Amino acid sequence: MAISTATKAATDALAVNRAPVSVGAQEVHRWLQSFTWDFDKNRTKYSTKYKMANDTKEQFKLIAKEYARMESVKDERQFGSLQDVLTRVDAANRVHPKWNESMKVISNFLEVGEYNAIAATGMLWDSATAPEQKNGYLGQVMDEIRHTNQCGYINYYFAKQGQDAAGHNDARRTRAIGPLWKGMKRVFSDGFISGDAVECSINLQLVGEACFTNPLIVAVTEWASANGDEMTPTVFLSIETDELRHMANGYQTVVSIANDEAASKYLNTDLNNAFWTQQKYFTPVLGMMFEYGSHFKVEPWVKTWNRWVYEDWGGIWIGRLGKYGVESPASLRDAKKDAYWAHHDLFLLAYALWPTGFFRLTLPTAEEAEWYEANYPGWYDMYGKVYEEWRARGCEDPSSGFLPLQWFAENNHPIYIDRVSQVPFCPSYSKGASTLRVLEFNGKKHSFSDQWGERMWLSEPERYECQNIFEQYEGRELSEVIAEGHGLRSDGKTLISQPHTNKDGKLWTLDDIKKIGCVFADPLKAL
Amino acid sequence: MSIEVSGGRRGLTDPVIAATILAAIPDQPLETQRKMNYFVTPRGRRLNEYEVLCCYTQPTPDWIPGGLDWGDWTQKFHGGRPSWSNESTELHSTDWHKHRDPAFRWHALYVKDKAEEWRYTDRFLKAYSADGHVRSIDPVWRDEVLGDYLGAFGFSEYGLFNSHSSVVRDCLGDTLRMSSAMIGLDKVDNAQMIQAERTFLAKLVPGFDESTDVPKNEWTKGSIYKGARETVEEIWQGTYDWNEILFSGHMVYDPLFGQFVRREFFLRLSAYYGDNLTPFFINQMQLYHSQTKGITTDMFHTCLADDPEFGDYNKRLLRAWSDKWLPRTVNALKDFMGIFAKIPEIKGVTSKDAIEAALERVFDDWKRDYADPIGYKVDTSALIKTVLTGLK
Repeated sequence: MAISTATKAATDALAVNRAPVSVGAQEVHRWLQSFTWDFDKNRTKYSTKYKMANDTKEQFKLIAKEYARMESVKDERQFGSLQDVLTRVDAANRVHPKWNESMKVISNFLEVGEYNAIAATGMLWDSATAPEQKNGYLGQVMDEIRHTNQCGYINYYFAKQGQDAAGHNDARRTRAIGPLWKGMKRVFSDGFISGDAVECSINLQLVGEACFTNPLIVAVTEWASANGDEMTPTVFLSIETDELRHMANGYQTVVSIANDEAASKYLNTDLNNAFWTQQKYFTPVLGMMFEYGSHFKVEPWVKTWNRWVYEDWGGIWIGRLGKYGVESPASLRDAKKDAYWAHHDLFLLAYALWPTGFFRLTLPTAEEAEWYEANYPGWYDMYGKVYEEWRARGCEDPSSGFLPLQWFAENNHPIYIDRVSQVPFCPSYSKGASTLRVLEFNGKKHSFSDQWGERMWLSEPERYECQNIFEQYEGRELSEVIAEGHGLRSDGKTLISQPHTNKDGKLWTLDDIKKIGCVFADPLKAL
Repeated sequence: MSIEVSGGRRGLTDPVIAATILAAIPDQPLETQRKMNYFVTPRGRRLNEYEVLCCYTQPTPDWIPGGLDWGDWTQKFHGGRPSWSNESTELHSTDWHKHRDPAFRWHALYVKDKAEEWRYTDRFLKAYSADGHVRSIDPVWRDEVLGDYLGAFGFSEYGLFNSHSSVVRDCLGDTLRMSSAMIGLDKVDNAQMIQAERTFLAKLVPGFDESTDVPKNEWTKGSIYKGARETVEEIWQGTYDWNEILFSGHMVYDPLFGQFVRREFFLRLSAYYGDNLTPFFINQMQLYHSQTKGITTDMFHTCLADDPEFGDYNKRLLRAWSDKWLPRTVNALKDFMGIFAKIPEIKGVTSKDAIEAALERVFDDWKRDYADPIGYKVDTSALIKTVLTGLK
């Protein structure tokens, strides 16, 4: 058949110019916004009170294959370092023992946040209508899979090569024994996936990623490095390069609802709730992991918090969103107060509950106590003295028969768990803000440690029904609970958790715990 | 020395800090079990890296089968709907963590392969353009079929891609979630590569229209893709059970309609019309289809149809779902037959006997690979006859 005009033109063009031609990612991406079509049922399966604009664009314009290329280059660098240089210099065995323990928690707990973020961004992918906005969320879905695998890789690496594999090798099941886990689930798991889709986006991206992953993922690398750990910076800094796109997604979510009437009514309340949700757990827990989970310190947690949370996030990032009606959270001032003492209060409780962990904890050394007092005047009188008493009573020695939990009972300081945040608190012995309020609903008592969380519960009690460890284990003896939760090392008798990291110290066994006869009781029943 | 470290000093390299650290490390490791996830039952003889990095990352409580945690969710939806729940699917399992991607791809392996495919695509396009291959493409095939109908097929892939969003949110297992995201991404990749081909042609052929207007019009208003569009819309937005979304898309619609369009229409016919470009992209899609088939047959056959407690129940439900989705898929194929009236006929290639043979290949493959394993009885000849009534 005769060739067409177009074919002739192509042939003629080729005669003049034989330069090879390809197609770039951006040339494909420019058509992405037109990929969708309207039909009756085309609406999200997840309810939201906001309406996301149909023409929202994404800032980082990637197509699937270009995404893969970009991430693959990062992986080569990251795994190359881990598997080559760091292994050759036996880096995992040059980490301070306290930090080896901290990474059991930090990496595994971050992993669950990354994992749930896969589902969260799946929900956002479903909720958005604009193909470019969907594309941005899809990129994040894939990133969160990457981050889940990367966090797992850190525990995997430490288990294979480090000084204490127990806890690194089975955190995904042993984390369920103790009280810190439920709080992490609330803040970085359920908080991301259960609720209004935009509210979840605010929790995940606007607050979680823009605010708290700065200290969690970036600042932690400085603490890691100071304590001999170069594996964590290698991985976490690679994770952080993806977070920029996630912060952009969060920003675009706000942009996409900015003109919706619901935004002016609800956005700042949702933001305040999300902020309090995240800070209630992370302010004490991150501070505790950094300061009490290390020997060598970078700077006081309160300084880090002020810089990242108060100034950078609360001031600059939220300030940029001011033109969309976004205001700094009303609870920011209360959170700032928490940043000073809340992590010290929490460590006292965490150490007392040490047998329920999947990691070893250590009392502050004399040098560390001096550092605390210098940076937090008043620390010794509140906490230092107590730790000295516990040490004198043999809390580190299995033959002492002494668990610090007994001190709380002896001195009439009951420990409660806040129903909404799942964070343990002791209102009668704390330097940070901690009030006890107890409400009854559907035949059950619920304890609260602050007005912000209580207000969330009062609006929607049906959202917060999770049992805490006192309710779950009530009447059961501690060694039985530990054994059932697989809290033992491979010898079948030594606890994974320990109250010290002394290289010459004796390790506690299940029998040592059983001899003490510690039985769980629900403190709310005593009220 | 002060325990506050400044000036970027590192514990690994600073002699004073390193000495303190080394002095604190025990002489012997405290634990001999160095295998992470040692408690996981491996699919093969030994636990592999994929199983180490993926299994049990999902924090479900034990009342969702396979979960390791306890208790209720710490925060639920407004109104009390659980974060994840058994009632999100009609199928039952004794262990939602059982699924494995047969290729054991965790994220790094998945993106590595796709990155290689992108780099190779770039090299291929440069060679193709420099060689002037585009001159051999039949103009009707190029302008009508590739410009319009291939572009329209991109919307089918795009719609299927979007059907994975609620699956990624709702499914009950970690390996399930990661597999679902990957096979979903492969679908949007297909849609993007179709557009890449059209954009590439527009660079080589003056007047070739790369815009999505014509294909979109074909997809939304034309008759050739009408049945396909209605089916994709129903899979994507009309279905809430995440297992049913995966089953309808990957075990019925795509192995029949998708395979016919990709393999038996575009791939088989391209060379006859002088087109060596389209097969490059379609072959990538066929690779993804093959990998997806491994994943979804593992999900539905190995794990669910062969579940020790719920296998029979699951098979009955899968057969019921097949009854529901097969007629729509057959209808989609029937409408698609209209495309043969749009291209110049080649005897033995686009004539009725050849089309029938192509349909037989697709239906035979489907019966063997998807229907027989769940005991689904089907008269493929009758279905093919129905499809052929769409030939104009």
